[in-house]
Amino acid sequence: MITLRGLTKRYGDTTAVDGLTLDVESGRVTGFLGPNGAGKSTTMRMILGLDHPSAGTAHIDGKPYASLRHPVREVGALLDAKALHPARTARNHLLAMARSNGVPTRRVDEVLAAVGLASVARKRAGGFSLGMFQRLGIAGALLGDPRVLIFDEPINGLDLDGVRWVRGLVRSLAAEGRTVLLSSHLMSEMQLTADRLVVIGRGRLLADKPMADMLAESSRAAVRAHLPRPDDLRLLTDRLRARPGVEVAPAGDGAIHVRGATVAEVGDLAHELGVRLHGLHAAGASLEEAYLELTADSVEYGTKEVGA
Amino acid sequence: MTRDRGTREHHGGGLRGAIAAEWTKLWTVRTTYVCVIAAFAFMAVFTFYYGSIARINDHPLQPVGNAPVAALVLVQYPLAVLAMTSVTSEYTTGSARTTLQWVPLRHRAHLAKAVVAAVVALVLGFALGVVGMAVAWVVFDGHATFAVAEAVYQVLAMGAYLALVSVIAIGVSFALRAAAGVLAVLFFSLTASPIMLVGLGGEVLSRINEFLPQTAGSGFMLGDAEPHPPLVAFLIVVAWAGITHFAGLAVLRERDA
Repeated sequence: MITLRGLTKRYGDTTAVDGLTLDVESGRVTGFLGPNGAGKSTTMRMILGLDHPSAGTAHIDGKPYASLRHPVREVGALLDAKALHPARTARNHLLAMARSNGVPTRRVDEVLAAVGLASVARKRAGGFSLGMFQRLGIAGALLGDPRVLIFDEPINGLDLDGVRWVRGLVRSLAAEGRTVLLSSHLMSEMQLTADRLVVIGRGRLLADKPMADMLAESSRAAVRAHLPRPDDLRLLTDRLRARPGVEVAPAGDGAIHVRGATVAEVGDLAHELGVRLHGLHAAGASLEEAYLELTADSVEYGTKEVGA
Repeated sequence: MTRDRGTREHHGGGLRGAIAAEWTKLWTVRTTYVCVIAAFAFMAVFTFYYGSIARINDHPLQPVGNAPVAALVLVQYPLAVLAMTSVTSEYTTGSARTTLQWVPLRHRAHLAKAVVAAVVALVLGFALGVVGMAVAWVVFDGHATFAVAEAVYQVLAMGAYLALVSVIAIGVSFALRAAAGVLAVLFFSLTASPIMLVGLGGEVLSRINEFLPQTAGSGFMLGDAEPHPPLVAFLIVVAWAGITHFAGLAVLRERDA
């Protein structure tokens, strides 16, 4: 488990991370979201003892990273996949890493095979594509068979096959009871991968909740109803609009889009009115919509729409 | 792909692991081999000229080891660069963070690099001393003396001096992080300052020069009794290594990786 308590990082007058308090628990994938400059990478670096917090603590299973006897066996991290010597081969890079923490050498070949780099293991890493760097970085994170994994943007540069592989890998690591903290800007992918979400903006915690709650609580969550008879459609629409906080929008072809009411409420009302329904289902908000809504006020490097 | 947790071996790591990792990293990049070859090439060429000039100009007899000791003015640089790049290349590529992920204790990460660089320079220093003496002996052609005890002392001293220069290079590299700055500082403190101070002359400047690492180091390797006894001269270089080591460590501890 990763425990942050009041974690803060200041650079002069700028506060990059502002009093973060949260627990990243084992056995599930925690998605770490936020706009550029929100403080995600700084937070990850502080967890790994690379940057010194201005205040607060970051602990791994109750201990600071720097005090771990074999950190590579406790925490696997992929921060910057390209941060390695370009003249060294992939295998030698991992070999040095293994020796630093007393990981058996055979494990190097195991992880290289696991990430699909066995055939280029003895090639200089400088010639790798971004996708290959990411795979090598993931191999490094897995090398020590750690209980805690931290991935910063692991799917950047991966092809669809690679993206699906990372998704499966991350899910299975969590299923094995490990702690997984994962950042990504690709919301559709995050929606498929994470169980829980931590959202930060301008260094502050904006949300820390299960994925399902995040989607359900979004004001973009809606109910879609399909009624074959125009009269029924009009009746149901009028009655729904009479309720406080409910918005109804025609969705074409005999369908309506209802916000501010649950599927059960719309269904019960239809039953009460005796109207004929051909379809009724929750049209949940996408993570992208929920995320944009949450971070609208905390985008660091935003663009304004230019008026026509 | 995961191993059984129960069979995990709980040894390794620590300082020994950090040294093993640095050793592996050192010998898995081409720069290392280029530096070693350069050091031997510089040594061979310099001692060839040193012996030839002594013979042609009919210099008085001198210990054969004086040739490789004089050559270290130049030969120390490939080894200093070897030590330096083990640090500066990691800051250039961002892999300094990777290293600290593997070995998060700053003093341990720094010590591992210093130990590896020093041991490599020590052993290479012995070999360079022997090669330099062999080349010089041939070209001196009777214009040099050879005494076993003296030669052994000079070979050992050259190894020790180069080891300490490597520790200095590592310390300065952690303090400055950028290769250009490190080279400038090393060149200024090892080579330029003695030339300037001697060139300007005067008692005070000469006295300062006697305490600079290369000047003290040369006296130590030649076995001169003046201006410092060899042991004192050696300790002056040790002090420089200590000061730069802890200066580098202070920066490494203080700054974010």
